[in-house]
Amino acid sequence: MKKGLKIVALSLVAALSVTACSGNTNNGASNGNTSQKESGSGQTAVSTDTFAKYEEPVVVSIGRSIDPSYTYEGNDTAENNLYTRWLLDAYNIEIKHEWEAASSDYGQKVSLAIGSNDLPDAMIVDESQLRQMVKADQLADLTEVYEQYGSERLKQIYDSNEGLLEGVTFDGKLYALPETTLPSAPLTWIRKDWLDELSLNEPKTIADLEEVAKAFIDNKMGGDNTIGVVGTQQGGSLYSTFLSSSDHFLNFSSVFFAKDAYPGIWVKDDEGKAVYGSTTEETKEALAVLRDWYASGVLDKEVGIRKSTQEVIASGQTGIFFGPWWSAYNIMDSIKNDDKANWRPYAIPVNEEGKFNSNQATGSSFIVVKKSYKNPEAVIKLLNIHVNEKEESYKTAVGKELTSQEIPLFLIMGHGDQLNYAVNTTQKVLRDEITLEEVDKLNYGFTYEIASHVKNVKLEPFDNFDIQYWDQESDPDYFSHLYAHLNGGSTFVNADINWVKSLVTSQTKTMQTRWSNLKKLEDETFLKIIMGSAPIEEFDTFVEKWYQQGGDQITQEVNDLQ
Amino acid sequence: MQNRSAYKHYYLMLLPGLLWLCFFNLLPMYGIVMAFKDFNPGLGIFRSDWIGFEHFKYMFELDDSKQVFKNTIIIAVMKMIGNLIVPMLFALMLNEVKNRLFTRSVQTIVYLPHFLSWVIIAGILLDIFSYTGPVNQLLQTWFGKDPILFFANAELFPWLVVISDVWKEFGFGAIIYFAALTSINPEMYEAAAIDGASQWKRLTSITLPSILPVAILLGTLSLGNILNAGFDQIFNLYNPSVYSTGDIIDTWVYRAGLIDMQYGLATAVGLLKSVVGLILISISYTLAYRFANYRIF
Repeated sequence: MKKGLKIVALSLVAALSVTACSGNTNNGASNGNTSQKESGSGQTAVSTDTFAKYEEPVVVSIGRSIDPSYTYEGNDTAENNLYTRWLLDAYNIEIKHEWEAASSDYGQKVSLAIGSNDLPDAMIVDESQLRQMVKADQLADLTEVYEQYGSERLKQIYDSNEGLLEGVTFDGKLYALPETTLPSAPLTWIRKDWLDELSLNEPKTIADLEEVAKAFIDNKMGGDNTIGVVGTQQGGSLYSTFLSSSDHFLNFSSVFFAKDAYPGIWVKDDEGKAVYGSTTEETKEALAVLRDWYASGVLDKEVGIRKSTQEVIASGQTGIFFGPWWSAYNIMDSIKNDDKANWRPYAIPVNEEGKFNSNQATGSSFIVVKKSYKNPEAVIKLLNIHVNEKEESYKTAVGKELTSQEIPLFLIMGHGDQLNYAVNTTQKVLRDEITLEEVDKLNYGFTYEIASHVKNVKLEPFDNFDIQYWDQESDPDYFSHLYAHLNGGSTFVNADINWVKSLVTSQTKTMQTRWSNLKKLEDETFLKIIMGSAPIEEFDTFVEKWYQQGGDQITQEVNDLQ
Repeated sequence: MQNRSAYKHYYLMLLPGLLWLCFFNLLPMYGIVMAFKDFNPGLGIFRSDWIGFEHFKYMFELDDSKQVFKNTIIIAVMKMIGNLIVPMLFALMLNEVKNRLFTRSVQTIVYLPHFLSWVIIAGILLDIFSYTGPVNQLLQTWFGKDPILFFANAELFPWLVVISDVWKEFGFGAIIYFAALTSINPEMYEAAAIDGASQWKRLTSITLPSILPVAILLGTLSLGNILNAGFDQIFNLYNPSVYSTGDIIDTWVYRAGLIDMQYGLATAVGLLKSVVGLILISISYTLAYRFANYRIF
């Protein structure tokens, strides 16, 4: 469920980012053309033409994640739409769906495909699946085809995202094309209109936050059943882990970080040795905080069981949740229900020293190519096209942005500083400090796109992102984009974040057999402690058991890697 | 010989079913060798390395697996008992009601839930038993009790699972008892009435003995299901805080196999489950033959 929401949010962000990288309508197209012309005019073309049309149609079969609620134009489908027809027409690349799965089941379907070795030519996988496939030797080595067929722009993008390709290079072989990560840290989202109504100050620490939540409940800001703080829903996790490092939406990572606790990731202890964050004393303290919150009614009583936390947010029952900057996309329902709902993100709670901590996200989506596939370069070309070109013909015909639902093998691709640029430049355009023409349309197409709409949407004062200073009506499509980038993005970009990176980002040998058991132990114990059905001392038993049941050996393995 | 050719078209009619069984039940069984292999999907089942009983050893080392087997058996046995007794009692009670329209409509209404999937029913249950749901509101206004989080309570969870399952299935389960009840010769009741047997006496001396074979049959046959505690239901209702009493073999195998991709281990657990299930089915078949004279073969 939770994953579903996240995917919706991400695909929204993604929907724009595609433009981000491909908005350079004329330039991009002519890039392709020039190289064609040049090589055609007998120039000694050393480099392969990265956009050449195939002589014969080349089929790329893929596994596809489908959003069941998405409406296509006319009779279009995910497999046969404007974009895929254009691919066939202009490049002779034919997209075939080996299978489709709803976005919420996609991960499982991929696991099944891996397990049965019944793979499509290419598909999008997550990190642990990628590693599983590398281990099983199921993947094509893309090193050469990427070198040869990767367009200049594609390489530019990967070069500007440091370490990204190294992360998917195993034994010197490039096995995947990673998504450029959208930076993420769990911010605290608070109803500022409620804060103002009760004349409360912005909270800073965990204690402040608790006070605010209590005030919301006592004053029945969200009706009789006001919930102080909401978070994890059924099937969701309590915090992001080293295997799902950007999982920051609707969980309690923020609270742990503010206690300098990093559950779920591998950190260094005082002696510089690797230790699993969930077993540290700091984590116990953070659990105690959540436990107190739960007991005193600050925390949602149905945490971990609730079917949809988002529903509670939309219905205006709560005034506090945790989520990354793009959560703004997910509060649109709340704003629709109550156009005064003034959600603002804060880079809090801070730790005792006043620092705002967050774990650092690693990549989450990867395009992989089956080992036996004959035309791996076609996949590279697809990505070339995806980041480079956007011809007027198909764009204007639909009059809307094409999303991951039309574009096969859709990855968010952008320069490393994409978000920073979008946030800052849009504001400059808004304040007339620069003109729209000065926006770097070539490299930051999406910024150009939203910047060209910003004046329709944002009212004065320009530096105040409270909901009353927005025009929600006149340009609704771009309202959500701009609201997310300026309200959410600006807080994130301007925040002073103390990043903590997990020492390992993949499973070691023993983890492969022991981890599910250890994780179950962890999930069960922690949720029980928070909900008060187990005493806080249970934590020490957990740590003991954890080391006993394989944690010892795993910690050793992680230390050996350092 | 002549006999056999007379049966020919029966064999033909059997063919599709046999083929189906072959393709979907027998052929996939070669996959159980995964339980003895270090399965690597890239190599496929046959080329992966043999590791003998490694997975089984590990399985018995895990605290988890004992607990999971225990939970499964507890929940399944409670369901078995509930699903045996409740439909019988219900059928007996409804049998005493003489208003045909009433019995017919009740019968129809109670077996409706059988046709709803657990995804739907679980959603409704979670809402009804939620923290601010109707059940808690009743408890609060009538008994002044603090709200209880039913589905996060490890002690209550198995009971809720069993009760909701019995509630869902008893109407459907009662059908077979209704059939047994209507097949009782009414003359026996008339004779008993003439001999002066009371209503109660007629129930205990005629009705019960007449439907007892059916009850025994159903009971023994359900023994084979003792390791099936109902994946759909529990998967849609559980959460980590009730793992200790609510996690069953099937949900565990699902998590180990599909989420964590430990195919070998998951297969080993599933295989063990099937072996135990096979033994139980054989026992129940023998019992069914001995006590109810019921034979399939």
